[in-house]
Amino acid sequence: MPARERWTAALAGLCLTLLPAVLPAQNGGLVPPGLAQQTTQPKPAQAKPAQSKTVLRIGAIPDQNPEKLNRLYGLVADELGRQLGVKVSYVPVTDYAAAVSAFRTGNLDLVWFGGLTGVQASLQKPGAQMIAQRDIDAQFYSVFIANTRSGLKPIQNQKGLAVLKGKRFTFGSESSTSGRLMPQYFLSQAGVKLGDFAGGAPGFSGSHDATIALVQSGAYDAGAVNEQVWKSSLRSGKANRSKVTQIWRTPSYPDYLWLGQPNLDQRFGKGFTAKLRAAIVSWRPSDAEQKRILELFGAQQFTSVKAGEYKKIEQVGRQIGKIR
Amino acid sequence: MKPAAPLWVLLPALVLLPVLALLPGISHGGGWELVGQFAAAALRPSLDPLVLGSVLGGLGITAGIALLGWAGSLALGVVLGIASSRVVWRTCTGSAGPAGWIRRLLALPRSIHELLWGLLLLQLVGLQPAVAVVAIAIPFGALVARVVSDLLDALPTANLEALRCGGAAAPAALLTALGPPLLPQVISYSGYRLECALRSATLLGVFGLGGLGTELRLTLQSLAFPELWTGLWLLLAVMLLLEALLGWLRRRWAMPARLGLRQRAVGGQGREMVGAGLVLLPLLGAVAWALDVRPAALLQWQGLPPLGPADWSAVAALPWPLLIGNTLLLTLIAAALAVGLAPLLLLLVQPWPAGGWLVRGLWALGRLWPPPLTALLLLFVLQPGVLTGALALGFHNLGILGRLLLEASETSGVAQQQALVAAGTGPRLALLYGRFSGLARPYLAYGAYRADVILRESVVVGLVGATGLGSQLLEALSSFAGDQLLALVLAYALLTLLGEDLSDRARLWLLETPHGDGHPQEAGGTWR
Repeated sequence: MPARERWTAALAGLCLTLLPAVLPAQNGGLVPPGLAQQTTQPKPAQAKPAQSKTVLRIGAIPDQNPEKLNRLYGLVADELGRQLGVKVSYVPVTDYAAAVSAFRTGNLDLVWFGGLTGVQASLQKPGAQMIAQRDIDAQFYSVFIANTRSGLKPIQNQKGLAVLKGKRFTFGSESSTSGRLMPQYFLSQAGVKLGDFAGGAPGFSGSHDATIALVQSGAYDAGAVNEQVWKSSLRSGKANRSKVTQIWRTPSYPDYLWLGQPNLDQRFGKGFTAKLRAAIVSWRPSDAEQKRILELFGAQQFTSVKAGEYKKIEQVGRQIGKIR
Repeated sequence: MKPAAPLWVLLPALVLLPVLALLPGISHGGGWELVGQFAAAALRPSLDPLVLGSVLGGLGITAGIALLGWAGSLALGVVLGIASSRVVWRTCTGSAGPAGWIRRLLALPRSIHELLWGLLLLQLVGLQPAVAVVAIAIPFGALVARVVSDLLDALPTANLEALRCGGAAAPAALLTALGPPLLPQVISYSGYRLECALRSATLLGVFGLGGLGTELRLTLQSLAFPELWTGLWLLLAVMLLLEALLGWLRRRWAMPARLGLRQRAVGGQGREMVGAGLVLLPLLGAVAWALDVRPAALLQWQGLPPLGPADWSAVAALPWPLLIGNTLLLTLIAAALAVGLAPLLLLLVQPWPAGGWLVRGLWALGRLWPPPLTALLLLFVLQPGVLTGALALGFHNLGILGRLLLEASETSGVAQQQALVAAGTGPRLALLYGRFSGLARPYLAYGAYRADVILRESVVVGLVGATGLGSQLLEALSSFAGDQLLALVLAYALLTLLGEDLSDRARLWLLETPHGDGHPQEAGGTWR
């Protein structure tokens, strides 16, 4: 008997110790999540901790240097907060695919996506709303750049891309539209497969800034980048023309866009999505703050989006296997 | 332990010949300038308060994730370990059958790398700090369970039988007979797991699951080397502090040394251990609160993304033999490099004390740098491919193996080495014959286990392209290709299970003790 008592006592003690850890989980577990959230949020799929009700969480694919992203989206958060009267916070994300997942799981409300990630996210989150794009996004370009010591010369037409066979070549991120998807599409039209590069595979630098720096350093002979980032690097002097040079500009295609959650109106009040769009589209260089934002975005202004434009991106995405 | 032929430890280093022969072919040297900048930045890390602040914040998150994940894995591992122990089942129910089944079930969570658990959980429950914690706790817990049950089953059962014959109830007899000899081994092992957890938490950060790893990758990709070094130096300081603290505790509590285990009883330090445990519990609570880890949030599943119809013919059309072949090749090269280079480097620098410290410093860096970062650095001067990935993984594991070898050689073979030196043998030969030959078997046995870990880890160097299953898996992740992902994860699980079986056999063979002294589990079994 005493032995049994001791065991019971020990067990009871253990249970008491573990109780606090288990308790919150039990509360969440006993009530189906959908039911528990019903009073505050109509859709169980967007069931989120309480704080998300009031804060508009914006994010962006990490296509440039983190310090530039922090500067830019800090400004965007302030400006949107001022115009819309809600608290806006910028949540940095480290990976293109993670940004898509975070949008799908409802951790981000408004995200600056590239064409491919935007399509991936809208397919994964039915009802997602294309809010706005830049004036330059309807007709966007990539450029192929090369290290001047690589011996690569400017290319006259698309077929000329074949000279990249056997060269060390880097894309940007795996999921980048202007740094991977469209360049790969144009390369494959010119008969260049991914296995044709030196080492049997292209590199994935992670961002456009990284591609420029790596090609400039000579770590790669050539790479593909977003034209807007390329131009701004040339202007700022980060890209040194004597070391890295443009060899081809692609035909145009649609790219970046602001994508919003389907439930913004329910959470922030009726008509919020329309107000959000109007706010972004209203930014003009005449306002000092908005001018800084537009300059960092490399655009004159934002416009509304025609969803149909992104069908081409979806097609290419399916062809290359990035959309299933 | 029977000594092995002295040259055994150096055998794996033969892989250097083909690697050195192939290296000129894949090096392009384009980015030496960048490597130079990277090295130069080590001396002048950024001290900008903004950078320091964000690095310290990241380090706090990484350490917190490591601590919580470690605690979770221990709790899980000890319970599951007892549940999968043959002795426990036999004593309590008379049949050891269920233990085997639980063991086999636990092989699956163990065979999947924590990174894959993390990315999978990310899809299910969204981006939150608890994801990284659980991602570490699951595979580590299954690993701890296996070690605990191995240890339990390897303990001498004379005491247990005596107690049972005396009429003691099964649970009381088990606790009394097996508890005291098990405790020091479990505590010593759990200290080692904490080091592993810190490395894993850093690695998970590299893939965007929060903490310092995130900063490391972003600063590396934007070539901001001074900022990168701020993070690396701080991480190095924390890692060395942790290792020193754990080593001190291990010695203080009379723990058995790593490879050449000599069992000793717990030296009356029970109160200290209980005290440490009591400090740890509120600390864990505080960390969980600070990191905003909410277990409840883990239950809010988001459902998987709407997947297109699975295209199994496309999955079957993947170049499987090539993928698997490359993965195995990568594993073998990396393992041979790590296992062979550690004793070789020690032998080479033996005559110069300064060289010894240089090697130690190099190994600390190897342990510290997450392999994907090393791989990205290597890409500045090498072409992408299997060899580049293997070099990155080999460097990381060299750091881990080298440290174990150093620790073990500190306590064994001192007399033999001194005798050889006194007899006029050169310093290198004395080290090789005096110390290493006695350690060769347990060291190689540990190496066999490490090869199994490297196979699992090969997924993390998928960043450098064309490295087999790992790179294909990362590609499938960014394409949200559920069918491919499933097939690739299963292939990985299958390979690691086969690898585990093979490395177990290798260990048993290496540790075979014709004289019957010592147990095969002792050396290789404990340090996984």
